[in-house]
Amino acid sequence: MSDKSLMVIPLGILIIGAFLLYVVSRTLNLKNRIESLLTALILVGSSIVLLVLHQRLPVLAADPNSYFGTESFGGIVYKPDAYGVFILIIAIFISTLITIFSGEYLSKDPRYLVFYPLILMTLAGMMGIFLSKNLFNLFLLTELTTIAASALIAFRFQRDISIKAGFKYLIMSSIGTMMMLLGIYFVYRSTGDMHLYQPLPLIDTFTRIGAACFLLGFSLKAGVVPLHTWVPDVYGHAPSSVSGLLAGVLSKSMLFIMPVICLRLGLTSRELGVYLILFGCLNMLVGAVRMLRQSLLRRFLSFSSIGQTGYLMFGLGMGFYYGLDQAFSAGLFLFLVIAGMKSLAFLCVGIFEYYYGTQDIILLTGISKKLPFPAVCFSIALAGLAGIPLLAGFNGKWMIFSTAITAGDRLSIIGLVIFVLSSVISLGGYLPMIVKIFDTTTDNLRAPVFLSSKKRVSNWLLIPVSILSFLVLIIGVYPTPWINWIEQVINWMVI
Amino acid sequence: MSFDILLPGITLIPILGVVILLLWQRATKNQAAVIGILSEGFALFIPILLLPSIRNKGEIIFSLRWIPNMSISFSLALNWLSLVFLLTEVLVTLAAMIYSLGEETGEKNSNYYYALLLLFSLGMSGTTLANDVFLFYVFWELMLIASVLLILLWGHGEIRFKVALKYFIITHLGSLMVLVCLVTLYINFGTANLTELTQQASSLAQNVQVFLTLFFIIGFSVKMAIFPLHIWLPDAHTVAPMPVTIILAAAMLSMGTYGILRFPFTLFPVETLQNFAIWMMIAGLISEVYGALMALAEKDVKRIIAYSSVSQMGYILFGLGTLTASGMQGSVMHVVYHAIVKALLFMVVGIVISLARERDIEKISGLGKKFPALCVCAAIGVLGISGMPPLGIFNSEWMIFAGGFESNISTALTVITLIGSILTVIYALRFFGSIFFGETKPEGLAIKSPRALIIPTIAVTAFLVIEGLMPGPLMAWTIKGLAGIFGGVN
Repeated sequence: MSDKSLMVIPLGILIIGAFLLYVVSRTLNLKNRIESLLTALILVGSSIVLLVLHQRLPVLAADPNSYFGTESFGGIVYKPDAYGVFILIIAIFISTLITIFSGEYLSKDPRYLVFYPLILMTLAGMMGIFLSKNLFNLFLLTELTTIAASALIAFRFQRDISIKAGFKYLIMSSIGTMMMLLGIYFVYRSTGDMHLYQPLPLIDTFTRIGAACFLLGFSLKAGVVPLHTWVPDVYGHAPSSVSGLLAGVLSKSMLFIMPVICLRLGLTSRELGVYLILFGCLNMLVGAVRMLRQSLLRRFLSFSSIGQTGYLMFGLGMGFYYGLDQAFSAGLFLFLVIAGMKSLAFLCVGIFEYYYGTQDIILLTGISKKLPFPAVCFSIALAGLAGIPLLAGFNGKWMIFSTAITAGDRLSIIGLVIFVLSSVISLGGYLPMIVKIFDTTTDNLRAPVFLSSKKRVSNWLLIPVSILSFLVLIIGVYPTPWINWIEQVINWMVI
Repeated sequence: MSFDILLPGITLIPILGVVILLLWQRATKNQAAVIGILSEGFALFIPILLLPSIRNKGEIIFSLRWIPNMSISFSLALNWLSLVFLLTEVLVTLAAMIYSLGEETGEKNSNYYYALLLLFSLGMSGTTLANDVFLFYVFWELMLIASVLLILLWGHGEIRFKVALKYFIITHLGSLMVLVCLVTLYINFGTANLTELTQQASSLAQNVQVFLTLFFIIGFSVKMAIFPLHIWLPDAHTVAPMPVTIILAAAMLSMGTYGILRFPFTLFPVETLQNFAIWMMIAGLISEVYGALMALAEKDVKRIIAYSSVSQMGYILFGLGTLTASGMQGSVMHVVYHAIVKALLFMVVGIVISLARERDIEKISGLGKKFPALCVCAAIGVLGISGMPPLGIFNSEWMIFAGGFESNISTALTVITLIGSILTVIYALRFFGSIFFGETKPEGLAIKSPRALIIPTIAVTAFLVIEGLMPGPLMAWTIKGLAGIFGGVN
């Protein structure tokens, strides 16, 4: 297998896998669990190739001529970046767990057959975004992700509110992709070219306007304040596993593709840095403040997700503004831990909802008595997000702190103050949540009765949740190997 | 043979105890207590074993690689200063664990209760031992989390949720200020190791030093409950179950003092700290007077003693602020004596509450005739906190005020503080007089004082008297412990 074909095989596996999976499961009328296992298998296959690709990256990154595709014929070119592969590996790992989780979680849904192909399609789109080095191709794949994801969000179409959420996502995301299309127009107008794998022939005002369009488009998809209004509705009403995927991986990853495109199209890294830091601060504050007094768990988590987007933007922004490598490590490390913690939190909410039919904390007060293990995992996720030491979130916090203090000028100090402020405010959201989960003073749970016929919580739900909790703990206690990995990735990175 | 290798045992054996307790779901309260007391006992026993070694070398260091690419290690150091705080904290925890046996607290889920007490104590001993800023913060937060959980799970009344939240958020704000300082140190010198930081820190720019000192002092003052950062304390102390209150008041508050001594005082030269001397003294004075006045105004017996902590911490900050050898030595000794006296007073309050089933001081009186042993213990405690010789606090207050006069910063302030200490006598005597004298109230008074509670109380009383009569070793240790202050200049 040549290196060049290696670059697209993971993508190919996902796209072909999605179609085959649908055909096979439709004709054989596969059970939900079998289909989820098959999907997991496809994902594992794709991730193995990705890991091989990861090993070959130092060679590939050094050679400018190694890319997949052709310059003629519209110029469809694929070439992986080091951090892109890193993010994709995490994304596929988390999605594998989410797929296994869905093996039980969706057992009451009649339409499970389309769920898994859609997951694969979403991931394929995301993978394409990271691999593709052509603006038009990028646009197509972004649309693919958008459409697949909105179908996933509206998956429980029996409920009006799900349809509404899916529709909202579709509209908002389409506005984002339209912005991108506009950006492509400006770039093409000036340069007559849409390549990204080599520097543009010229950079003028129009390419910079194009860059701004892309910036807006990706910001919308990442849920950057003030374009965040879709986030709570969408994460709040999509199935938990979909919310976990979107909040944990998909929307956050947009923040990592945004800089690459915008820098190529002529934004300077100082400009990008200022944008990321300032809007990151806004995100942190809005997320922290709106998180308070939410009673619906998924809505609560989606505001916390807006705050986490802010942390990521602050980290990356410092990287671009000051040119600090450690800021990029902080950003990638935060991406890793947030992906783990956020999806863990959403999956735990999924378990509560699966057995008690509600995600309202007022009804779920004292759930620890009935579902002790998921309750503990949920509090691990929340405590991690709050940045309690010995959990993964704290190491990320430490890295952000140290980067901001290293930079040490007015902008980073303002950012740091807002970071501290928002992490204190958000404690007021996380802590009462944990307290309510363990508040057993009220004698009987107010939630409706246990919905399952079996007494025990299904292993299909428990295994992904325990793997994620274990990871959150182990990355917190012993982050060394993970930091090594990230530093390696940063060394290979060429922007 | 050297016992130095045992040093990490001070933190690891309690962890082992925690693991055993977590696994042993069916442990009865007594069984859980045995595990808890045994593993805590090691934390007491090991430092004593290490004493000769500290005498030889001055400091024992243990180090293990942890996160090498961020130059963070699992590094512990035991020296004279940390020894004093470590022993205080471990002894208080042991007393509280034994006292718990006579209490209702922790009847259900005793294994979790004792595991959390162990974690609480582990957080404190780790804080005193940590020789790495990252590790220090981890233990510092562990201490907070364990205590919050204890208040949440075993506190009194529905209000405990709000109280625990308030306690967590306010003290966490202080912790974050400390964290900013720790990370700044770590970034400036590229190492998290405290020994290395101590050697280099005085080379920092003057304005950075001032900024760090300010943040450190404010951050640690939150833990010390210095006015106006004390607002978490009265509620947390009142709502927590009595053994937890004992640890909070007698041991955890002193961690703030340790932090101030360990960081700004050790790292920076005395010139930097002189900017803050007078402010520390003023804050100490205000805290002293405010705490005493609030203790006078309160009716709830537990809150009276809680406010007395605010007042006593004022003395300690005042002593630190003098920046003189005797003032600081007085402060450290005050930490130790205050720990013993405060543990004793809270134990007495616990017994009074369990006898009278009442917390309003106006509804309790005349216990003296019926419970002579309790009365004697309370009398010694009250005399102790008022600074009556030969009980310990007399020594430490003497040194604090001597430091105040020596320092030449402001004689007037010292005089006011000295006069202010009369308030302590007033609230202490009011507390004692109204509970133990007069006609016996309330009606439904228990007939016998519970033996499981009175025995540890008598033991602590005896310890207080002995410490007061023989202050020699403590004085010697604190002098040696303070040798490293201001980069070892004094």
